[in-house]
Amino acid sequence: MQVKIIISTVAFMLTMVIMGYAALREPARMETYTLMYEARSMEAGATIYHNNCTTCHGENGKAEECYNGDGEQIACAGRSLHNADLLCGATSKRMSDMQWLGSKHAFIAGTIAAGRSANGMPTWGAEYGGSLEPYEVEYVTKFVLNWETEALCSQPTLPPPDWPETVAELPAGNAANGEQLYSIDLGCAACHGNLAEEGSNAVGPWVGNFQNLDNVRIEGYTAADYMYESVLLPSEFISPECPTGVCAGPPSGMPDNFGTRMTIQDMADVMAYVLATETFEGNQTIVYEP
Amino acid sequence: MATLFDEIREMGLKQAAIAKLDDVVERVTAGMNINDIRAMLRGDEPRKPNPRLRPHADSFWLHIRPSFYHAEVTHIYPTFRLGWLSTFAFVWETITGIFLMIFYTPSPDVAFKNMWEIMGNVPLGQLMRDMHRLGAEFMVLVVALHMLRTFITGSYKKPRQFTWLTGMLLLVFTLVLSFSGYLLPWDQLAYWAVTVAVSAAESHPGPAFLGKNINLLLRGAPVIGAGGLLRFYLLHVILLPLLTGIFIFVHYYKVIIHGHSLPPGREAIGEDTAKRVPRDERVYFLPDILTAEVMWTALTTLGLVGGATFFYHAVIESHADPLVTPLHVVAPWYLSWSQGWLKWLFEVPFTGQELDSKVIVAFGIIPVLAVMFFVMPYFEVGRSRRYADRRVGLSVSMAFITFMLISNWQGSPEFRVQSTAEQEVQQRIMPQEGHSMVLEVPYEEWVPGTYLATEAEIERMIREDRPHIAETLELYMTALYDWSCTNSGSDLYRPCEVTDDGLYTNGVKIDVLVDPYAAIVVKQAQENMLEIKVQIKVDDPNAPVDFYYIRYRHQQGGYEIY
Repeated sequence: MQVKIIISTVAFMLTMVIMGYAALREPARMETYTLMYEARSMEAGATIYHNNCTTCHGENGKAEECYNGDGEQIACAGRSLHNADLLCGATSKRMSDMQWLGSKHAFIAGTIAAGRSANGMPTWGAEYGGSLEPYEVEYVTKFVLNWETEALCSQPTLPPPDWPETVAELPAGNAANGEQLYSIDLGCAACHGNLAEEGSNAVGPWVGNFQNLDNVRIEGYTAADYMYESVLLPSEFISPECPTGVCAGPPSGMPDNFGTRMTIQDMADVMAYVLATETFEGNQTIVYEP
Repeated sequence: MATLFDEIREMGLKQAAIAKLDDVVERVTAGMNINDIRAMLRGDEPRKPNPRLRPHADSFWLHIRPSFYHAEVTHIYPTFRLGWLSTFAFVWETITGIFLMIFYTPSPDVAFKNMWEIMGNVPLGQLMRDMHRLGAEFMVLVVALHMLRTFITGSYKKPRQFTWLTGMLLLVFTLVLSFSGYLLPWDQLAYWAVTVAVSAAESHPGPAFLGKNINLLLRGAPVIGAGGLLRFYLLHVILLPLLTGIFIFVHYYKVIIHGHSLPPGREAIGEDTAKRVPRDERVYFLPDILTAEVMWTALTTLGLVGGATFFYHAVIESHADPLVTPLHVVAPWYLSWSQGWLKWLFEVPFTGQELDSKVIVAFGIIPVLAVMFFVMPYFEVGRSRRYADRRVGLSVSMAFITFMLISNWQGSPEFRVQSTAEQEVQQRIMPQEGHSMVLEVPYEEWVPGTYLATEAEIERMIREDRPHIAETLELYMTALYDWSCTNSGSDLYRPCEVTDDGLYTNGVKIDVLVDPYAAIVVKQAQENMLEIKVQIKVDDPNAPVDFYYIRYRHQQGGYEIY
């Protein structure tokens, strides 16, 4: 009996030592596991993103390179997510544009879950009729937020080009370059459709008829004036005809960052392609103030 | 009656306090005062009348324990303490389970997150979870061994048939308890194991509404969701523990009534002398048996705590997803035999008509076996418990154990489950769920680029001190060897042959890869996350393959530790 009591006591003490050891390493271990859960949520989010989001936002989230199901490059319909406008600062630029008061996390999660009709962003959250469960929306949100890095947010923002105040000052445009920019690089086609095919537009108005818009939408604006203003300052005047009815806004569903994304030559090329002319005539003064 | 105040006046404060304490101790122990306990611990003979017997008559906790045992049953043989260990495991599971309940909500929205919070946000939470899971495996094991021991020593025979029957109930409760706990983490492992098991009800051969309704009752909805999780949770934390607790008491009470059966050779054939213990062969519960039990408690606790701290971690897979079935879903090891049986082919004799194995197994073999086990002692009425007289019974039991072990192996994916060769290779190095060599490579070892599954690449990795990648590529090559053949005379693979169905074979597996190009392609997905792609290509025009599978690996993913 004494032996048994001694064995019991020793075993009990050893148990306590092991528990003590486990307790001592707990703070560090818990920290690691918390990070692990975050990390694995992001990994799962990456898989969901890869399967559902890349056709419009691109594999790297910059909406620069998008492919359709057959592997052909197409215009990216989505906005850039790997982007300082979305991710940097407690209230990022896009949040303040939307007058969003909540957190950045809720802004992104809400956009994924509910979608945005103005931009053609589909509804993903199951609670709104989409295909992703709430936890999946959470995972994708964490993945998108993980693009926020110091490098991204400390990038100096390049000053926009010195946009001329009249379209006549634009250089001569090259329609062939313009087609490449319109259809793929700048992603215009994703919303505005194919110039040759009325009704091919998905979200924004069809622009195949823009060359006939002298004095139509806004009195005193040539087609070139109208297009120039619409690209640089999309919320100034919002077109009445979108494929889903009246176009959303203000602010317009059209991204307002083309003034910083495009060069002056890009603008001339795209206008040359859409308006089928190399030089532009206008009678308005358009001042670019982002 | 003297009040405490009177006693203090009479005896002084110290003496009165001692007398009062003595009194309290005697009440709490239902019959033993301080001196009795001290004498017991010193190993003195008890005074008369023996106060150590009174707790067995008067106290709640000891009234289901015999006051003395036959010395013959206090050694390791014949009981191996398995019955007691089963009870210990039940108590262990209750305590660790209550701890886990505090941090768990049975809802699909949060259950999975709760598991990670238990591991990352609750001090000693992971240890508790590991101990609960380890304790559950331990409980299944000791309960099964206890049953086996009872069979081998013939202790189920008259008059203990009913004890055996309650024991069978407890075995079933243990299995269902363990299995109902399986669903609670709400990960892929949980979801699919339970979905497969519950779907057996659907195959009910009776009227369709019956199977459909049983299924509905278990799942709480057409598919397992919030309702199903809540039901399994309630089964796991209320109904089954309650039933198990009750039947443990019945089982114990029967042991008091009939005594522990002696080793078979110790009594004359057909006699049961367990209750007639000669005075000189008695070992009293107090103090000897109790001390032994305390010792086994301390040792088992040490084993489980140590095991869960250093060796065993309960797994967690990714979040349950009803739309994605992982490759190779398996039942828990203690039910693997049933999965093996499901893979059998059943045919009607003579006509050769194929039968649904689900129906045969779930509504034929298992219920028949269960009933046979329950009522076995009432039909197996041979008088002798001696091994020499029970050669047939013991042989049958050994054959049955062998059969179950083989069935268990048949439950594994190795038996009659094969997906495409490239998926099997991928499964080996980077499966959808579970242990993955590729993910366990430390993040820092990867440099974006293409890693070919070749000897030269392995040598390069060893030269550059990247041992985990080298190891992974080696496993990759082994898996490729198993699932590939060569038409070009490569010395990496066995030569290709063609089966009658026109499929390539390497002599071991059918429908294999022909001279595959295999690589792991690593890209930077985000600043702290890699995209890892397992890529397999075959150019052979008869069996072309262009396969890839992608997983992401975050710097903090921690696969190398958990």
